[in-house]
Amino acid sequence: MATKSTTAERPRAAAEPWRLALVCALAWLIPGAGHLLQGRRDKGLVFLVALTLMFASGLWLQGRIFPFEWSDPLVFLGAIADRGVGLPYLIARAADAGAGTVTAASYEYGNTFLMTSGLLNFLVILDAFDIAQGRK
Amino acid sequence: MPPAVPASHFLFMVAYALLVSIVFATLLKDQRRDQVKTGVTMFGAFLVAAVVFGWLMYPFPL
Repeated sequence: MATKSTTAERPRAAAEPWRLALVCALAWLIPGAGHLLQGRRDKGLVFLVALTLMFASGLWLQGRIFPFEWSDPLVFLGAIADRGVGLPYLIARAADAGAGTVTAASYEYGNTFLMTSGLLNFLVILDAFDIAQGRK
Repeated sequence: MPPAVPASHFLFMVAYALLVSIVFATLLKDQRRDQVKTGVTMFGAFLVAAVVFGWLMYPFPL
C-alpha cells in the first residue's frame, strides 16, 4: 500500500561522490548529522540524542573504551565498535574518560552501552548513505 | 560530580532496551505512527525476552 511522504522523505537522485563522502563523514562524526544534512530533521535529532545519551550512559556505568589490541580479537572488535560514535568518543578520549572499572557491578553494562552506541551509529551512517544515494 | 550508579541490573536492561528500541524504530520506519508502534513492540519484546531467559537460566548456577 502506498503511503504519503513529505518532500524531504521522497527518494532523490544519487548525490555526487564528494557529497556522499561528506554525508558519511558527518554522520560518523556527529550521530544523526547525516540525516539532518539531508532534511530528515526528526530522525537526525532522535539519533543525536539517543546515541549520545547511550554513549554517555556507558561512561557513567564505568564502561571501558577499548584500545586497539591486535593480540586480542574481541578487544580489537570492541575498539572498532567504540569508535563508531564519532565526536562523543573523541571528547571522552580527550577528557581521559572511559578507563573502566572492572570491579564495578555495572562494568559490563557500561561496555555494552558504549559498543552498542557505536554499532548503531554505523547503521545510521548506512541509512544516511542510502538516503544520499536516492534509495530511500 | 555525577550521581551514584544504581545497582539494579533490571534498570540497566530497561534503559538499554529503551534506547535501542528508539533508535531501531526511528531507523526502520518513516511515519511517526509506525515508529511508535515498532518501538513499543520492540521494547516490550526486549523486556519479555529478558524475563523469560532469566527464568530459563535460573536453575543453572554460575
